Amino acid sequence: MAGNPFPQSKEQLLQAYRTMRTIRDFEERLHVDFGRGDIPGFVHLYAGEEAAGTGIMMHLGDGDRIASTHRGHGHCIAKGVDVVAMMKEIYGRKGGACEGKGGSMHIADLSKGMMGANGILGAGAPLACGAALAAKFRGKGEIAISFVGDGASNQGTFLESLNLAAVWNLPAIFVVENNGYAESTSRDYGVAVDSYVDRAAGFGLPGVTVDGTDFFAVHEAAGEIIQRARKGGGPALLECKMVRFFGHFEGDAQTYRGSGELDDIRSHQDCLKKFSAAVTSAGVIDAASLKAIDKEVLAVIENAVKQAKAAPQPTAADLTTDVYVSY
Amino acid sequence: MTPTIGLIANPVSARDIRRIVANAGNLQITDRVNIVLRMLQAAHACGVQRALLMPDRGGIRALLERHLRRGHDASLPAIEFLDMEPTSTVDDTFAATRLLQRAGVAAIVVLGGDGTHRAVVRELVEADPGLPIAGLSTGTNNAFPEMREPTITGMAVGLYAAGRIDAADALLPHKLVEVQITGADGRTRRDVAIVDAVVTHDRSVGARALWKTSSLDAVYLAFADPQAIGLSAIGGLLQPVGRQAAGGLAVQLASDPAHALLHLTAPIAPGLVRPVPIAHWQRMVADEPLTVQLAAGTVALDGERELAFETGQTVTMTLRENAFFTVDAARCMAVAAQQGLLRVPVPS
Repeated sequence: MAGNPFPQSKEQLLQAYRTMRTIRDFEERLHVDFGRGDIPGFVHLYAGEEAAGTGIMMHLGDGDRIASTHRGHGHCIAKGVDVVAMMKEIYGRKGGACEGKGGSMHIADLSKGMMGANGILGAGAPLACGAALAAKFRGKGEIAISFVGDGASNQGTFLESLNLAAVWNLPAIFVVENNGYAESTSRDYGVAVDSYVDRAAGFGLPGVTVDGTDFFAVHEAAGEIIQRARKGGGPALLECKMVRFFGHFEGDAQTYRGSGELDDIRSHQDCLKKFSAAVTSAGVIDAASLKAIDKEVLAVIENAVKQAKAAPQPTAADLTTDVYVSY
Repeated sequence: MTPTIGLIANPVSARDIRRIVANAGNLQITDRVNIVLRMLQAAHACGVQRALLMPDRGGIRALLERHLRRGHDASLPAIEFLDMEPTSTVDDTFAATRLLQRAGVAAIVVLGGDGTHRAVVRELVEADPGLPIAGLSTGTNNAFPEMREPTITGMAVGLYAAGRIDAADALLPHKLVEVQITGADGRTRRDVAIVDAVVTHDRSVGARALWKTSSLDAVYLAFADPQAIGLSAIGGLLQPVGRQAAGGLAVQLASDPAHALLHLTAPIAPGLVRPVPIAHWQRMVADEPLTVQLAAGTVALDGERELAFETGQTVTMTLRENAFFTVDAARCMAVAAQQGLLRVPVPS
């Protein structure tokens, strides 16, 4: 063995793999369970995009806050939200992260700095600005990140937030998860100038584009951007070019995709396969260790589903709790 | 044959981490398209009738087509996009170079930085080293493509492509550094750098861009310009070597700065002027391989970490002369002036 060629320690690499594998299995399981009709509401799956959320979140602590999107499961898991609480929430059960009253698009856990997934496209960016302003006042070097898809980056809220973050020099980072489709609209059609870095430049913010399917590229670039923000260097934008393995939502027939496109991206742009190949060929982690993690994660997900199914539904009385108005 | 040129415009050059760590610039897509249009208009004015363009999914094609849809622009040659599916990776540049070579274009105009130019050259040296390129600079550390108004580059390429200036007057030969990594099993990997092949202590390519002097081990240069920005500046400020001069330059950095022969202050990236500990340097003689001393690390080619190597693998660097050609815009315009190529007689 020639030592560890990566800037991350072996423990960090194992953690990265475990996180990515947990997200993948969580989403694959939801794909099956939603298809069976077990899950209420809508789910939008993060499978294929794991390297971005994982590579970024590994630099964060619980005091750093993130504002997620409708496709938020991966962000939650990478930010440390309990998968049992997540599964219960998605199943709409008591004991869920939001007591089963929010569902997939409203999972939050403030103790982990996860301000919430969000069903409103582009709504997370102003929230991240608020969290970043608070962090700036606290002065502990904490930061806030807004995740946004390529489609939502056309929303006024997103563009206004870039401006606000620049004007107030906030420790806010805007991550554009560019998976190529705004729901079913190709970015070629729906985005006037197909460069999110150019948009950031319009507000005087630096921007970087990375291959979002490459954990190592994301981790390095995100590390520099986050470190800069912690030191008062201000906001920046990180564009992660990535792919999603499922439709915009579960049930999406994906007629907008090219023939063979899904097979191609699963074969050539699977971030987990790329990561596994890199660490095993470098001799840092052997295939058996990865398989052991696969087995453990599978059991974790199975247990989460079991617990979610066994948990009770919220009652009518629960409707009036956890709200701002006292009844 | 209808005077035809090719164009490879990279929509993602100048997007890397150096925007964060070094205040490097960002040429916006709209400006890249304006550059393409200016170059094409000038090429057409000098005789080019047809242009074959690499398609992309980064915005250049979309904006160009929007421009073309606004109405017939008589100032442009006929524009066609190559029949290929963009992958938004460097493979697009390789594929487009092959297609342009097969299509028989007179020259390939390249819009991008050193990395984009390297990708085109890497493909050309395999297939058709005689097909010249002409560079339009849009990258970060541009040592290879010179800063020049695209209109002038377009005119020079147009005059050459239309047969109004012959190859002997229009083209310049260039050197490159050939990198070869040979494993214990005898299997080899080959690649090229058109400016600098840099050996680093980094053991993975990560975010690819290179900006930390602490990670540098050695620099192998096809040419070394004291005015260059980037890692080739290290050689340029020690012992300049012209683009057309014989040989190259190899610089070994000191692994322990306390035991360096000297510390050189060099602009290793835009805005990053850093002390670089130098151990020694030597000229590279054409076709004589130099063996890399570092046991394991990565080789960065023209500014981007590309090739990782491990203990037991041998890395050699070989300077090759007359490896590829560019359209020399300055010389073409001088010839045009001397020969009156752009004078139009007034009918008496």
